[in-house]
Amino acid sequence: VRFDTYVVNTILLLFLQRVLLLVASDVDALCACKILQALFQCDHVQYTLVPVSGWQELETAFLEHKDQFKYFVLINCGANVDLLEILQPEEDTFFFVCDSHRPINVVNVYNETQIKLLVKPDDDLDVPAYDDIFRDEEEEEEESEAESDGSEPSDKRRRFEEEVIERTMKRRQRREWEARRCSAMVMFDLAWMMSKDLNDMLWWAIVGLTDQWVQDKITQMKYVTDIGILQRHVSRHNHRNEDEENSLSIDCMRIAFEYDLRLALYQHWSLYESLCNTSYTSANLKLWSVQGQKRLQEFLADMGLPLKQVKQKFNSMDISLKENLKEMIEESASKFGMKDLRVQTFSIHFGFKNKFLASDIVYATASLMESIEKEGPETTNFIKALDSLSRGNLDKLHQGLDLAKKQLRAIQQTVASCICTNLVISQGPFLYCSLMEGTPDVRLFSKPVSLCLLSKYLLKSFVCSTKNKRCKLLPLIMAAPMDVEQGTVIMVGIPPETESSDKKNFFGRAFEKAAESTNSRTLHNHFDMSIIELKTEDRSKFLDALISLLS
Amino acid sequence: MAGERAVGLVRELQRAAGGHLPPFRAEELRQALEEMRALYERNQADVSEAKAGRTDLIFLIRFRHCCLLRNQRCIVAYLYDRLLRIRALRWEYGSILPNAIQFHMSAEEVEWFNRYKKSLATYMRSVGGEEGLDLTQDIKPPKSLYIEVRCLKDYGEFEIEDGTTVLLKKNSQHFLPRWKCEQLIRQGVLEHILS
Repeated sequence: VRFDTYVVNTILLLFLQRVLLLVASDVDALCACKILQALFQCDHVQYTLVPVSGWQELETAFLEHKDQFKYFVLINCGANVDLLEILQPEEDTFFFVCDSHRPINVVNVYNETQIKLLVKPDDDLDVPAYDDIFRDEEEEEEESEAESDGSEPSDKRRRFEEEVIERTMKRRQRREWEARRCSAMVMFDLAWMMSKDLNDMLWWAIVGLTDQWVQDKITQMKYVTDIGILQRHVSRHNHRNEDEENSLSIDCMRIAFEYDLRLALYQHWSLYESLCNTSYTSANLKLWSVQGQKRLQEFLADMGLPLKQVKQKFNSMDISLKENLKEMIEESASKFGMKDLRVQTFSIHFGFKNKFLASDIVYATASLMESIEKEGPETTNFIKALDSLSRGNLDKLHQGLDLAKKQLRAIQQTVASCICTNLVISQGPFLYCSLMEGTPDVRLFSKPVSLCLLSKYLLKSFVCSTKNKRCKLLPLIMAAPMDVEQGTVIMVGIPPETESSDKKNFFGRAFEKAAESTNSRTLHNHFDMSIIELKTEDRSKFLDALISLLS
Repeated sequence: MAGERAVGLVRELQRAAGGHLPPFRAEELRQALEEMRALYERNQADVSEAKAGRTDLIFLIRFRHCCLLRNQRCIVAYLYDRLLRIRALRWEYGSILPNAIQFHMSAEEVEWFNRYKKSLATYMRSVGGEEGLDLTQDIKPPKSLYIEVRCLKDYGEFEIEDGTTVLLKKNSQHFLPRWKCEQLIRQGVLEHILS
């Protein structure tokens, strides 16, 4: 049976039922959710959508709904734990998991009945063969040190299996990781296989991929490969616009391939602000220092762009200056050590005024989702962000863009102050930086995605600023106050910033172990295991344990 | 003076815009009817006197008659307009009215409502084949069979006819058949989302 047909047949089961959608709080999940919603609506599949931001919310939602639904779809959550163990569902409950988190828990992979993982076949999962893990009981009786106290054979077997899984997991972590296809693209593939793909869905898939790129979760090569895949779909859906005579009305939505500047939000901001607040330019020009600022002026002068023009809203810049802007900037940038100022991406157009790059949407949606303005329960932000992905909600999108500008500015200022005050210190096996309560905008960084973004940008800038060769290769752990009353901090670990980095993040496991060994009060609630919360008092012993663990 | 109370009733209805049903003013109605009775009796007396020769009373009699007609018109308008509003409530809320509204209705109005309900039900059963046709559904032609709704407040479990329940929590979204949602949309628990 061809793989595609097999997938569609399995998934079609889903389309005949009432379904509960549990969706994680990240932009890729939102995009995948929009695509799946569109597919369900097309086929009149009744569903309920519940946003979840962590394992606790997932369990709660499952318990609340398990009497009403037999089919659950989990988006960007659930793959990296033993799902059946945690949720303890009935035998006739089915889970369809579309999750870009890795590594996938082996138990999920080998479950034949209740768990269906949505992954592409060319996603090299590198999962150990079934026989390696679930070996015959007889063989192992001789090898293992089983107690002879008459315990049930199934108990022995399960204990043994757990041991083997442990060992295998450790082995796998040292092996090559699987490429992670973003969930939105997986959903788009599903739509395509069902011949129900639309331009709207394609755009969401693009945004999902761009989210992974913005958050630095995939390698450059993977990004370019996936862009190539999407480019074929884009041509297929949007070729009518290339033909002058048969082109569509200006109000119709279309997607175009762009080889555009990677300056964040530059078309909705001023070029100057964008140069200052994009981590690539800020880190390479070292804009936190006085020499850096001078270099920026030289850079602009090299391109012949007057300061007055560059500080204006981009749309108000002189047309003559905008004409060959991309090529001009690229040329000058390479003189200043920035060879990759342009990046392959896509843009969306509808109407005369509305043009957005995929990265614009990512920044806007992420800011809406993690907005600190208190307006009802946390799920309200999720709903707002979900809405902003529909073209009818431009007001929300613009709100998101404004919030994103604030966020990017806050990030750059925080990065500058951390570097200038030497807040990033080497702890041996990793770098460490902790934000103090009272730092401006520190509230923004109590949210996981914002903190991760800050950490990535900080690490990039630090690597450019330090002369210590060894420090340049270290990963970074970043802490920020989460809830002052409760006395908790949020902590994230990110992999090192190197050219050949495969972006794999092993901190999840490390955090778990360190917490265990020190009895620290930690909460591993996030689907991304490299983000945890812990009590401020336990921080030092936790860090000490990490240092000894990773040395 | 003459006709004030009756007009007062009409004014109250005029102020209650949007089909809202104010409480039934039994006391004011009684007073208006009392006024009419008084006018009528005085006219009775004066007509006999006028027949006996006092022709100067004729204008007074005519005036009182006009007052009577005016009162009658106001009171009938009051009662009729209330009935129209009550009829609209059947289409708005369904066959069980919320308690708050029922308190505002007089016993006779409740009786009228029940009879109207019965009449409507009989008619609906008679059209559309075996099961009849529920005319109170889909008053505007729907664009789709299923709609996406978002829950605006915690409502709890909502049971659908076929036995399945849906848990309505604030900010959850659902994709359900249109007819199952209409009631809750009208009540403001669910919000229809247009994509």
